[in-house]
Amino acid sequence: MVISEDTRAAIEREIGKYPQRRGALLPALHLVQQEHGFVSPDSMRELAGIFELLPVEVMEVVHFYNMFHDRPRGRHQVHVCTNLPCSLRGARGLMRQLESHLGIHAGETTADGRISLGHEECLGACAYAPMLRIGETYHENLDAEQAKRLLDGLE
Amino acid sequence: MASIRVDDHELEVEEGRTLLQALDDAGLLMNGVDVPHYCWHPKLAIDGSCRLCQVEIEGFPKLQIACNTPVKDGMVVRTQTEAVRRAREGVMELLLINHPLDCPICDQAGECKLQDYAFEYGVGQSRTREPRRALKKSVDLGPTIVFDQERCILCRRCVRFCREVPKTGELGVFNRGDQSVIETFPGSELDNPYSMNVADICPVGALTTKDFRFKIRVWFLEDVPGVCTGCAAGCNVWLGTANNKVYRYVPRRNDAVNETWICDHGRMTYQQIGSADRIAHPALRGEDGILRAASLDDALAEAAARLRRVLDATGPGALGVVASPHASNEDLAVLRSLVDALAVEGAALAVRQGDSDEILVQAEKAANATGARALGFGDPAALLERLRGGALEALLVLGHDLLDPALLGEGDALDGVGSVILLDSHHSPLERAAHVVLPTRHAAEKFGTLTNHAGRVQRVRPAVEPAWAAWSEGELLARLGAALGLPDFDGKFDPRAVSRALGERAPAFDGVDWDSVGDEGLPLKQGGA
Repeated sequence: MVISEDTRAAIEREIGKYPQRRGALLPALHLVQQEHGFVSPDSMRELAGIFELLPVEVMEVVHFYNMFHDRPRGRHQVHVCTNLPCSLRGARGLMRQLESHLGIHAGETTADGRISLGHEECLGACAYAPMLRIGETYHENLDAEQAKRLLDGLE
Repeated sequence: MASIRVDDHELEVEEGRTLLQALDDAGLLMNGVDVPHYCWHPKLAIDGSCRLCQVEIEGFPKLQIACNTPVKDGMVVRTQTEAVRRAREGVMELLLINHPLDCPICDQAGECKLQDYAFEYGVGQSRTREPRRALKKSVDLGPTIVFDQERCILCRRCVRFCREVPKTGELGVFNRGDQSVIETFPGSELDNPYSMNVADICPVGALTTKDFRFKIRVWFLEDVPGVCTGCAAGCNVWLGTANNKVYRYVPRRNDAVNETWICDHGRMTYQQIGSADRIAHPALRGEDGILRAASLDDALAEAAARLRRVLDATGPGALGVVASPHASNEDLAVLRSLVDALAVEGAALAVRQGDSDEILVQAEKAANATGARALGFGDPAALLERLRGGALEALLVLGHDLLDPALLGEGDALDGVGSVILLDSHHSPLERAAHVVLPTRHAAEKFGTLTNHAGRVQRVRPAVEPAWAAWSEGELLARLGAALGLPDFDGKFDPRAVSRALGERAPAFDGVDWDSVGDEGLPLKQGGA
């Protein structure tokens, strides 16, 4: 079993909030990803068992949403919002700068496993664009130098 | 019921059906009313993803997809308007944006819906210069299927098939939008007893069977309607033939039998037709105990002489007859005449048993056991007892289903029988005991009818001509009867005439003959089987 008892209990609590078990699949995927940092094929199989779905159906959901990852990621998840308002305020240029600073492309992880960089759709912080998210923390009104310093400060 | 009009056709449709279903029910779809479609399949859940089946419906401001629009009383539908034509062009253009231009090396070419519809409904040229999606060209999905991701148009027929029919659900659509691809779950394969159907329902060349791919261009194939002989289900098939050879079976739709499916095992039984295992000439066992090729006349004369000796010396009680469930109703009718003329009692039927499932596969591994029973060939237990008790001096055996472990096993029990006359299509250990071997035809090589497990009589016709000496059981037995000097046996066998006369012998067959059953078959008359 790769999903812990605690996470399973939390998943059952989520399931209780929905008329059908499968309704809680998205919260469950978040819980599993919180526990492991990603959703492995083994956990997809276990989730399929919990939700009475086929493993491929769980995997379809994991692949459909780009906030779920099916393989290990870096220690820090850096997401740059590149949706329209942020892009109008330079988010794409920011992303290019961060890509060359880290030497990776969006969607990749640095060789030392320190940082995974990714695009993010709207994070609801349009007024503070450009912005990025490190883990659960928003960093707003950024220019390239500030953003690079932020990344350099990550362990 | 709802009354609807589609172009010039007035239809009475059951409530709850969608437009495409209504057209399919009426037999009009692509056969009078052309509504091209990819994702919709008559035997799968509705997906509505390909968008090609758009039609104009009076009162609707926009075009609607026919596959997922329920009929309503008074609905007026037009399928051939300018708006529909332009919508189809647009959909085809989008479907073709990423489709590789590899028709010259694609196995689907010639039976490809993308080719057909691009020709019928497409614009004829591409407006894009951007590179096409580069994906995996040859994904080994499992033991039977190879997948070309670039050719896939994401209609999800295969995905739905695996979830709905074998209920194994191996396939899924991963990623999203223009990144979408079909794959299996990591570490698992597309491997189920019906897996090869995904190649049939794939409208493009994305899914091909390892067995058939690159064997022959499909436009060289002549499709002959026939019946699978792998088990008693009697699934309807098209025999793809060329060069006097059967290259494949593909399921032929028959909603009363196999819908649009066939199991993988049955599909592969086409290989039995031209197999190296076929008995290719009559044979006689010499004084030295060796089986040698012989002419048909010599073999029949020897068979008749052996039978006559036993009948004259001991009587019909010393002769056992075993019918084959692989022979046609007509062949078995001749056997029945012979048995009756010789006054042999207890003529039995031997049927090899195997696995079955809830979908199509039947336990009886032969196409005509039900027909044989309807013609009075029954349980072999008593015959086997007489055989083991040494009461039989001669045995006339059709086929080698006697070797089923539940019956004879390896067949040593036949060693003590003085005369064994074997009519069979394929080599088997039963030949070790045979004194006369007469080669028979496969169902794909003759006219005849077969009765499936549910009592449905279905016809077969010659799709290929064996390149060696082989005769239908009916012909061999008619000639054997003549060689025995039996009245009513003139040595001639006309399967279609025998078929018409079947009802006289067994009332269940009344009016159910080769000509009247058509290519979709008819059930035996009630109470007959």
